[in-house]
Amino acid sequence: MDDKTVLIVGGGLDGVRTALEQAEAGAQVTIVEKFPTLGAERIPRDRLIRPEQAFMNPDLDKVRDHNNIRILTYSDIKKVNRDNGKQRVRILKHSLRVDNSKCNDCKACIQVCPVNMFDDFDEGLGFRTAIDHCNLTTSEYNIYKEDMPVCQETCPVNLDIRSYVGLIADGKHLESLAKIRERLPLPGSIGRICPHPCETACNRQYLDEPISICFLKRFVADVELDQGVEPVYETPEQKYPEKIAIVGAGPAGLTCAHDLARMGYEHIKIFEALPVPGGYLWVGIPEYRLPKKLLQREVDLICNMGVEIQYNTRIGKDVAFEDLQNDFDAVFIGAGCHQGLKLRIPGEDEFEGIIDCVTFLREQALGNLPKAKGKLIVIGGGNAAIDSARVGWRMGFDEVYILYRRTKKEMPANSWEIDAAEHEGVILQYLAAPVEILGANGKVTGMKCIKMELGEPDDSGRRRPVPIEGSEYIIDAETIVPAISQGTDLSFLPEDHNLNLSRWNTFGIDEETGATNVPGVFAGGDVVTGPDIAIRAVAAGKHAAVGIHEYLRSK
Amino acid sequence: MAGVSRLQYTPEIKTVRIMCTGRIDPAMVARAFQKGLDGLMVVGCYFGDCHYISGNVQAKAKIDMTRKLFKYIGVNEERLAFRQCSSGEASVFVKLVTEFDEKIRDLGPLGGDGDRVKAPEIFGKLKAAEAVLAGEKIRWVMGKRTPFLETGNMYGEIFTEHEFNRAIDMIIVEEIEVQEILAKLKEGARSVKDLAGDLAIPSERIFRYITALKRKGMVALDNVTDRSPIFQLVPQEV
Amino acid sequence: MIYEKEKRYIIPFGDVPSPRAEMPEISVDERRENFTEVETGFPEKIAIQEARRCLSCRRCLGCALCWAECKPEAIDFDIPDEELELEFDEVIITKGQDNAFYPFNPQLGYGKYADVITDLQFERMLSPTGPFNGMVVSPLDGELPGRIAVVQGDTGDDEAHLLSSQVLGVNQSVIALDKTKDLEMVLISPLCESFQEKFFAQAEKIPGLQIIAGSPESVEKGESPKEPLLLKYSANGENKQKAFDLIVVLTKPKISPELESLSKKLKQDIV
Repeated sequence: MDDKTVLIVGGGLDGVRTALEQAEAGAQVTIVEKFPTLGAERIPRDRLIRPEQAFMNPDLDKVRDHNNIRILTYSDIKKVNRDNGKQRVRILKHSLRVDNSKCNDCKACIQVCPVNMFDDFDEGLGFRTAIDHCNLTTSEYNIYKEDMPVCQETCPVNLDIRSYVGLIADGKHLESLAKIRERLPLPGSIGRICPHPCETACNRQYLDEPISICFLKRFVADVELDQGVEPVYETPEQKYPEKIAIVGAGPAGLTCAHDLARMGYEHIKIFEALPVPGGYLWVGIPEYRLPKKLLQREVDLICNMGVEIQYNTRIGKDVAFEDLQNDFDAVFIGAGCHQGLKLRIPGEDEFEGIIDCVTFLREQALGNLPKAKGKLIVIGGGNAAIDSARVGWRMGFDEVYILYRRTKKEMPANSWEIDAAEHEGVILQYLAAPVEILGANGKVTGMKCIKMELGEPDDSGRRRPVPIEGSEYIIDAETIVPAISQGTDLSFLPEDHNLNLSRWNTFGIDEETGATNVPGVFAGGDVVTGPDIAIRAVAAGKHAAVGIHEYLRSK
Repeated sequence: MAGVSRLQYTPEIKTVRIMCTGRIDPAMVARAFQKGLDGLMVVGCYFGDCHYISGNVQAKAKIDMTRKLFKYIGVNEERLAFRQCSSGEASVFVKLVTEFDEKIRDLGPLGGDGDRVKAPEIFGKLKAAEAVLAGEKIRWVMGKRTPFLETGNMYGEIFTEHEFNRAIDMIIVEEIEVQEILAKLKEGARSVKDLAGDLAIPSERIFRYITALKRKGMVALDNVTDRSPIFQLVPQEV
Repeated sequence: MIYEKEKRYIIPFGDVPSPRAEMPEISVDERRENFTEVETGFPEKIAIQEARRCLSCRRCLGCALCWAECKPEAIDFDIPDEELELEFDEVIITKGQDNAFYPFNPQLGYGKYADVITDLQFERMLSPTGPFNGMVVSPLDGELPGRIAVVQGDTGDDEAHLLSSQVLGVNQSVIALDKTKDLEMVLISPLCESFQEKFFAQAEKIPGLQIIAGSPESVEKGESPKEPLLLKYSANGENKQKAFDLIVVLTKPKISPELESLSKKLKQDIV
C-alpha cells in the first residue's frame, strides 16, 4: 500500500510542527508556503522561556532534512478539486530567477537594485530590494516580481490599469482605450457605473486619495465618441464554424459574445427577451447614470463583428431551451436576476400601486409607466433602492422616501449614490421598517412603519435591527416600491433540465470555465452569483468564452 | 554662423562644442554647477535630424531628468535648459541665447534668491546630486529608456512614459537621501540621531536607509556609545 | 504610514499632483423632471492631471542591473514558474506566515508614531535573523530604548487569546532584557485567570520586568517626534500615565481571507 499523502498549507510554526508529526507517522508530506522561506523561528506562546531558548526550533532543521517531506516555498495554491476522496491541487511555484547554487552572496545585486520596498518577511520593519534574501541565514536569493499591480489584481477582469492610466498621462487617449478594449468591450458603460473595487485597493490611498480609475476609463471612451472615431475590431484569420447560443444580452452575454467573436467564431446568436439590449444596464441602470445612446453604440460595435441579437424572444416561451441545446454547439446562460422579491407583509397583494424595483425601473426605462402622482416610498438600502428613488424624483413624485432598517453606515449602496440622493432631496428614513400596507378602494394610500434600533451583531457582522415596541407611524403614499433584493427567474428551463442549482435558484458552475454540470451548457453573471456588480458579470462572460472555446476545440 | 552673420549676443556665455548632445553626461552637469556655473543651456538638433539617429531624444530625456532632480534638491530647474535649433539658424540661436541670458540674470547667482536652497548648502546638495547622477542605478535605468518604452523590460512589459518617469522619480528621491547619508558617514562614524541633526531627513527614514545599507554590507555597526548605536562606512572594493 | 502586507512603500514626490479630481455634475435644479446625465465627465486637462497622480506601482522594474552586476552569473530571468498538479489524501491548513491581525484600539498610535510597533514586528526585531540582528532599537531614531511597554491591543474577553499574548509578552520581555542593558520592561494587560494561576508567580520574579494588571487607553506625544511616548492606562480603577521610549502592542491573530476561502472550499478547519 502506498503511503498516505498529506499537503500542509502554510510553512509557519504550526505548519512545520504538523508536517513533522505527519512525516514521523509515515506519511508523504508536502509543505506549501507563500514566502520564499519557511518561518518557524518564533517565540513560544504557551510556556515561559529562558532567553537562550528563544527562536530555537529544532523541528525546522529536521523538516528541512526529512526524506518524507517536500518543501514548496514561494508557492501559491491555484485550484483545488475533490476527486473521489482525493484532493487534486494545482500549485504554482514561483521562479526565484536566481540559481542559488552559483550565488556566492557577494551582495552586488542588492547594492545596485534601484527598487526599495517594505520587507514583508520582517513585518515591514526594514526594506528589501527587488532582488534579495528574506533573511541572512535561512533563505535563498530571489527576485520579487508581482504578477500584476494591486489594482489590476483586484479588478474582476484584470484590466491593465497601470498601462491605460499611464497612456492617458502621456496624452495617448485612443491608445489607452484600445488597451482597455483588449479586456473590456463596454468601456463607456462600465466607466460610468462601476463601483470600482480597484480604487478601493489603490495604493495611492495611503498617501492621499486613490486614483479616479473608473472615470478615466469613461474619459477615453468619451474622447473617441467626441472625435467621431470608429474603432476597428480585428478578428483573426482562423475562423470556427460552431454555432453558439447566448441567453440574455446583458453584460455577461455581450462580453461572452464579444470574446468568442474575437477568437474567430462566426455564428453567435444572442436571444434577448426584451426589445432592447444591455440587460440590467438598459432596464436597471437609469438614463441619468448611463445614457441609452451610449450603451446602444457599444452594443452596436459588438454586433458589427458578426454577433446577432434576436430581440423579443423569451426562452421557454418563444423558443424552447431544448431547441437551443439541439441547434447549437454550446449555450451560455446569462439571464441575470430580474425578479424583485416580495416584502411579505399584510396588504402587499391587495392594493394597486405596489411595484417591485426591478419592474419599476424596467417599465420606466421602456417608457411604460403612467405619469407620477403623489408620494413614493422605496424600501431597501441597496443601489437599486437609491436608483428607484432618484428615478421617482425625476419622474415628478411630490415626495420621495427611502426606508432602511439600519443606519447609513450599514447601507449596502455606494456612499456617493446615497449622498447624491440626499442632495437631490430624497428623504432617507433610517432605522425604519415596513409593517403593513394601507389602502382604500383597491389603491394604496400609505404604509405603516415601525422604528428600529440596532442590537447585537449577526453572522454578517452587521448589527441586527430590532423593532421598538409602540413606535409605529404612518407615511401617506400612492406608490410603494420594494427594493429589498432580486432573484433569478429560471422559468425558461424545462422541467427535466438536470442542471445543478443552488438553494437560491442560481447555477452551480466551474468558476474557471463557466461550465455547468451539463456538457455544452455554460452560465455566468448574476444568474450564478445573485445580484452583483456589472464588472463581475463581464468577468464571468470572459471566463465562459474561454471555457466554451476549450470545450468546442476538445470535442 | 551667428558670427558670420555678424549677429550680436551676450559675451557672458561660454560655448562648449560637442559632437552630439547625447554626449552630455548629467553628472558632468551637476559638477559644472558645483564649479560656479549659474546656468546651462544645451542646444541640440531638431528631432529627426540627429546624425546618430536618437542622440538628441536621449539628451532631452537626460536633461529633463536632471531638471527634475534639480527641482527636488532645491536648485531652480530653469538654470538648466534644453533647446533645439539647426546649424543654419543663426538668428534662432541668438534669440535662444539672449532669452536664456535674461532668465539667468533674473535668477541671479546660484544659491541666491532664485533658488529654494541657498549657498553654501546648495553645493552640498549638488555634490549629492552628482553622486546620484554618476551612480549606476540612474545611469542604467536611464539607458534602458528606449527599450522600456519600445520593446519592454525583462518581463516584456512595455512602459508608458509616465510609468518610466515614476520609476525615475522614485530612484531620484531615494538616491539623493542615501548619497547625503553616505557623504556624512564619509566624514566619520555617526549615530542615526547625529545624522538626523545634520540632514533635513526625518530620523525614521534615515534609520530605514541605514538598516538597508547595513543589509547590503555598505554600512556597519561600529560601537554603541551610551544608548546610541554608531554606524560607519564599510570600504567597498572597486 | 501604516505598514500593510504587500502594500507598496510610497515616496511622495514633488511633481505628483495631489488631490483627486472631482467629477463635474449638473446642478440639482437641472435634474428635476428629466433624465439628463448627471455626471458630465472630465475635461481633458483634468483627466491628464488625474492620470499623472498614478504611482505606477511596480516592484521589480525588470531593468536587469542585478543580472549585469552578478559575477557568478547566477541570475536568470528566464527560469520559468513551475506548475504542479498533485494529489493528496489529506490537506491540512495552518496559519502560515501571513500573520494578519485584527484591528485594535486606534488611540494607541500604531501607524501614527514610528516607535509604536506590533508584537509581530517586535518578534522580528528580537530575532537574530531579523532586520537589526536582534538588537533592540527604536525604529524612530535607532536609539536603544530605556523603557519599553508591552501593552494589550485587543482587550476583549477571549481568554485563550489573552493567555497566549500575555505569555508572549513576558517571553519577549525576557529576551529584550537579556539583549539590552539598563532596560526597564513593563507589561500592561488585563491579566486573565489562567495566566495568574499558571505563570504570574514565575513572571513576577523576572528582574527588570514589571507586570501591571490594567488596560491601556491611549498613547500621545508632544509636538516634537523626539519626545517620549506618553502612555495612558487604567489600573485598579485609577487612571495613570507613564513615559516610554518604545511601545509594543500585543495583537490578536486573524486568518487571512485567502486561507479563509481555501478552508471554506475544502470544508476544512484551520489548525
